[in-house]
Amino acid sequence: MPGTTAIPEIEVIVKDIGGGGGGPTPPPGGGDDGDGSGDDRNRRRRWSPSPKRYSTAITIGIVSILMFFMALASAFIVLRRSSDLWVTVHLPRILWANTCVLLASSFTLESARQRLYLADASGFRKFWLMTTVLGFLFVAGQLVAWRQLVAQGVYIASNQASSFFYIFTGAHAVHLLGGVGALLFVGFRKFEKTKISLPAAAEITSYYWHFMDGLWIFLLALLYLGK
Amino acid sequence: MPLGRVTDPCRVSMANADSSGANHPDTPPTGLLSRYVFSADHKTIGLNYLWLALFSVFLGMAVSLLLRVHLAWPGVRLSFLSSLGNLPDRFAALTTLHGSLMVFLVLTAAPQAGFGNYFLPLQIGAREMAFPKLNLLAFWLTAVSLFGMTTTFFFSPQPAITLWIVSVAIFCAASLLNALNFSVTTIDLRAQGMTLPRLPLTVWAWFINAILGALIFSILLAACVCLLSDRLMGTHFFPVVNFVSTQPAGAVANAVPVLWRRLFWFFAQAEVYVALLPCFGLTTHLISTFSRKPVWKQRLVVLALCGVGLFGFCVWGQHMFSSGMNPSSPLVFSLLASSLGLPATILVISWLATLWNARIQLNTAMLFALGFISLFLSGGLSGIFLTRHNLAAAAAVSDDFVTGHFHLVMGVAATFAVLGALFFWFPKLFGRRLNEPLGKLHFWLTFAGVYCVFMPMHWLGLIAHSRVSAGGDLTSIALPGSSIHTFITVAILLTVFAQGLFLINFLWSLFRGEKVMEWNPWRATTLEWSVSTPPPADDFGATAPVVYRGAYEFSVPDAAEDFVPQHLAPEQVVKARKAGE
Repeated sequence: MPGTTAIPEIEVIVKDIGGGGGGPTPPPGGGDDGDGSGDDRNRRRRWSPSPKRYSTAITIGIVSILMFFMALASAFIVLRRSSDLWVTVHLPRILWANTCVLLASSFTLESARQRLYLADASGFRKFWLMTTVLGFLFVAGQLVAWRQLVAQGVYIASNQASSFFYIFTGAHAVHLLGGVGALLFVGFRKFEKTKISLPAAAEITSYYWHFMDGLWIFLLALLYLGK
Repeated sequence: MPLGRVTDPCRVSMANADSSGANHPDTPPTGLLSRYVFSADHKTIGLNYLWLALFSVFLGMAVSLLLRVHLAWPGVRLSFLSSLGNLPDRFAALTTLHGSLMVFLVLTAAPQAGFGNYFLPLQIGAREMAFPKLNLLAFWLTAVSLFGMTTTFFFSPQPAITLWIVSVAIFCAASLLNALNFSVTTIDLRAQGMTLPRLPLTVWAWFINAILGALIFSILLAACVCLLSDRLMGTHFFPVVNFVSTQPAGAVANAVPVLWRRLFWFFAQAEVYVALLPCFGLTTHLISTFSRKPVWKQRLVVLALCGVGLFGFCVWGQHMFSSGMNPSSPLVFSLLASSLGLPATILVISWLATLWNARIQLNTAMLFALGFISLFLSGGLSGIFLTRHNLAAAAAVSDDFVTGHFHLVMGVAATFAVLGALFFWFPKLFGRRLNEPLGKLHFWLTFAGVYCVFMPMHWLGLIAHSRVSAGGDLTSIALPGSSIHTFITVAILLTVFAQGLFLINFLWSLFRGEKVMEWNPWRATTLEWSVSTPPPADDFGATAPVVYRGAYEFSVPDAAEDFVPQHLAPEQVVKARKAGE
């Protein structure tokens, strides 16, 4: 059988090049023809997935979540223009306070990362905790906004505008709670045993958190302008 | 909390990963549960998806058989169905069940999640998917969603519809996790030297498909959330009145909330390409391998795959020509849908040019790949009629033409590609070959069968059209119970019988088939053939593979063998020539 002759050769080659040319990471797009020279140290290096995968994942996740909210937003715009059932919902004032809280949390998050960069562990811990608390405060504020609307007799099924208000704030809060979970994870996890380092985890959490922040501004603008 | 002086996050975590070791045990875990049910190994999960798809395809086929029997012989009573009461509801429920099983669990799951999970890491030289635990979660969500969709049949309509929507939402979540895993794995976990131009086209197709999936399944998820909220909390996202007020008087009978249709078709039209994209990749791969020739204009094919993804994302409106959109938008969608012909033509030309003057190995896998081209062309040609908005509006009156069209191009063609891939990879999956003579018999019976089933359906649609336009007396042959319906049903019976041959072949070969000891029985070039058969638990073992060349180096002039595997270093190729002399 002609195919069999190739196999012993293949095995030889695998032994020859095993781990040869091993750079620090398996480079996407790296390595040209015959790039077989490299560290002998790495010859028996264990395979480990690239740590860049976390930031790639959060990017794709953000795009995906954005599509989710864009679908809702386009439904909002279409119904706003064509619906006969539209009744304006007056936004509770506490939303503006909540917005400030969320914006402030983005700043504290960046301050925390700044402290981390300066190797100031206690400063990092302080600002990180502050961010987490602000995150919880925002969600609590949203709940208060819901209570205020309910007190006015505006429920999710009252009219289309109120449905959108509850769906937008609810979906955003669920996604934001995921972010709070990430904040808690980074804040309390012992990073000796994880596959990701603390600065990398903090950076990735910050992408998501700022995205949640921007998303909220967008949704608030939509709700406000669509009154 | 460790706070090093090192500020490069990648470097730090790399060191962590190295010191702690990757969390993949070198020996497979023992115990039935940890090995098959809760294993996060990409090969186990890929196989599990294939089992789910196999179950679903046979269940879905049985359901379609019931539907056709009813259309051909409406008087027949099946005691099992009669006992469930309210037969028109049951017929509608059967149609939904058939569609959901085939589209979600077979066409979406098998080529992408099934073969993709198993072979994507192997083909790019990774040992695992990027997020194995997410992968496991996605699989079990898919299984739950299959269970939910199947059980809807036994409930009364209202709770059944709610359960169905919940199942679809769960499936969306699973698909999103899958899409995330696939795209990150392709971007970040490629072996050294596996540059983008060197990726096998299967990987390209899986990758583009994952990106597309990450975009469109979010939309369906959002639509499902709104729909559930309408059903459970009394909101009015999709009110019918909203539709009626903007409609021409003639179309009111067909009242469906237009907003729902927009969101749904935004997903569903792209879903066609989600089913087809991996099949394009698989077919191209098989044709190149069994023609022993490189893919003709490989980069152009990659561009065409991207084009399919891009245009597929933009053509949702072509399902709504009769729904009273802005009058100029049908023309736009019509043009966009027609422009899908461009990448499709590039793909077909590339396949034919690869086949041209080649020493074709006409085994069953290759036959199925060729069958895919035939079905894709036939279905695609009838699609050209449907992109004409005035014709499609007429065809919408009776959707037999549309049914015939999309079954040929999406359902059957994709199934052929999946079967081709199964015959191709079966030796790697199970260390045995599927029986070739039985496989060829199965191919020819199925090939003839599906044409006999779906070509007359186009004919039925055209008859219905003539009923509308000319009021002809052809209508009697389109009624349920007429000769043309009986012909279709008999053809389906024969086709389903042929699938019994496949099942026998599959089960027999699994346990008794001809053993394959070679690592590379097809003399193929990609990395999955450089590991033993079946692949070891840790895929490439302790060392990471290195890639030196493109994925389709067949019939290279200087080499003794007619193929050069991707991991073969240039100096080794020279040695191969000397060995040949």
